[in-house]
Amino acid sequence: MGLFKGKVAVVGIGEVPSGKFPDRPCLQNALEACREAILDSGIEKNEIDTIIPTGTFFDRRYNTDMIFSKLVEELGLLGKAHNNFQVFAGGSSSSTMLKTACGLINSGLAEVILCVQSDKTGSAPVQEMIDLFATFGVPDEWETPYGFFMGATGSLNATRYMHETGTTPEQLASVVVSMRKWAALNPNAMLRRELSVKEILDAKMVATPFTTKEGNVLADGGAAFIVTSTERAKDLRNQPVYPLGFGSRVCHYSISQDMDLTRLGFSEASQEAYEMAGIGPEDIDIAELYDGYPIFPLITLEGLGICGRGEAGAFVYEGNTWPGGKLPMTTNGGMLGQGHTAAGGGVAVLVEAIRQLMGKAGERQVKDAKIAVESSLGGTFMDSHIVILGRELP
Amino acid sequence: MKEYKKPLPKPTPWSKPFWDGCKNRKLLIQQCISCKKYIFYPKLFCPFCLSPDLSWIEATGKGKIYTYTVVYAYQPTEFSADVPYVVAVIELEEGVKMMSNIVDCKPDNVRCDMDVEVIFEDITEEFTFPKFKPVI
Repeated sequence: MGLFKGKVAVVGIGEVPSGKFPDRPCLQNALEACREAILDSGIEKNEIDTIIPTGTFFDRRYNTDMIFSKLVEELGLLGKAHNNFQVFAGGSSSSTMLKTACGLINSGLAEVILCVQSDKTGSAPVQEMIDLFATFGVPDEWETPYGFFMGATGSLNATRYMHETGTTPEQLASVVVSMRKWAALNPNAMLRRELSVKEILDAKMVATPFTTKEGNVLADGGAAFIVTSTERAKDLRNQPVYPLGFGSRVCHYSISQDMDLTRLGFSEASQEAYEMAGIGPEDIDIAELYDGYPIFPLITLEGLGICGRGEAGAFVYEGNTWPGGKLPMTTNGGMLGQGHTAAGGGVAVLVEAIRQLMGKAGERQVKDAKIAVESSLGGTFMDSHIVILGRELP
Repeated sequence: MKEYKKPLPKPTPWSKPFWDGCKNRKLLIQQCISCKKYIFYPKLFCPFCLSPDLSWIEATGKGKIYTYTVVYAYQPTEFSADVPYVVAVIELEEGVKMMSNIVDCKPDNVRCDMDVEVIFEDITEEFTFPKFKPVI
């Protein structure tokens, strides 16, 4: 395990602001993110031999175009690119794209890989999106007939977690407080107004225990990153970011079939990633954790061993994850702050981890950050992924 | 029976006995003849040992609420008239989990680990849904 360590580097990133931009086509989000990532890396674009566009939910036509090499044509790589194929796992497309890229680079099957995501769930009609998302990852025979829908997923995890740990609604709401504080510092974020615990809990209830302010807001957006070999990264302009460890577990398709909704697979995933990276929880400078709903960063903090069982709520409530806190967490504001761009919610979190380690996070830059952990979850929070990244060669 | 406009299950050949069971007021789950494990939702073959030899047994219909949520807003369009409604994951005495609704109980009174038992709600001529109510 971990043969890629020290052999693979992320060398460039690009991102368009998240928000509602009805006049900005999906393709534009993707193209602008790609162009920015290429220019950011300083790599000659004709060196890109593999494009991995992850999937898009809103625009099926655009998604098909991505599968069928539209970007190869747009980027002037006809006859030069070797591969164009999709890697798609919903919210965990971030970690799985990077994992795939690491394998390809390390095996010599690719030299320079461009990973990209774009979606437009923010400009679509709200009820249409709710009805569409209602079907995603929700078994039509065993869950849909009872009125279950994706927007109620985190609520099932949270109810059981509160029952087992005594975590309070105020502590859960404080995760949103933390996300919004970071989003306020992020020019690409959609929800940049800070919120108080009271405002969050007083908002309209959606599915207990979560209110409208505790659910992610659908957004348009796009992001890209470039992966190459450590050797090729040597004379490029950016501080290379090295993947050091991966760990993951798939724990359900149907949320009702998960063995433990209060833990998911994060303990096993973290253990695996720590062993591969040769580090422990005490070495982490930044935790770029996938949110979606406030419960998931708490479960992840505990799986990572950063907090003890049932202690993550108090840890966040006390401000440890805020700007200036002991452990900066999800510093782009996550889906609760930057906005949920479908699979891109996770890609944005990964891009932020890379951005921080490159030292390019502007006002929200965490000083001297050497090691970042990124997490992601796809579908109805089916799979738990942990990625450890560093800016020093192992 | 008035027209039912909410989503209906689309049974597979191997899940049809479950829905037929509900119509007959029986909560049926599968049991693997080879490894004896209980299985829900219905599978084509045993997910534990891959044996295709599965039998149907009648569950006791009793269980506990593993987790739940009370839905107030942003529900799928077809459920607009039902809010607030309770969606729960019930762990049956046999150890398998299933999603359903909690009925005959004020949403505010639902709790994790609450003892519940199945009741059958006729939905259409073809479908009867298993739902759960608190054991008093």
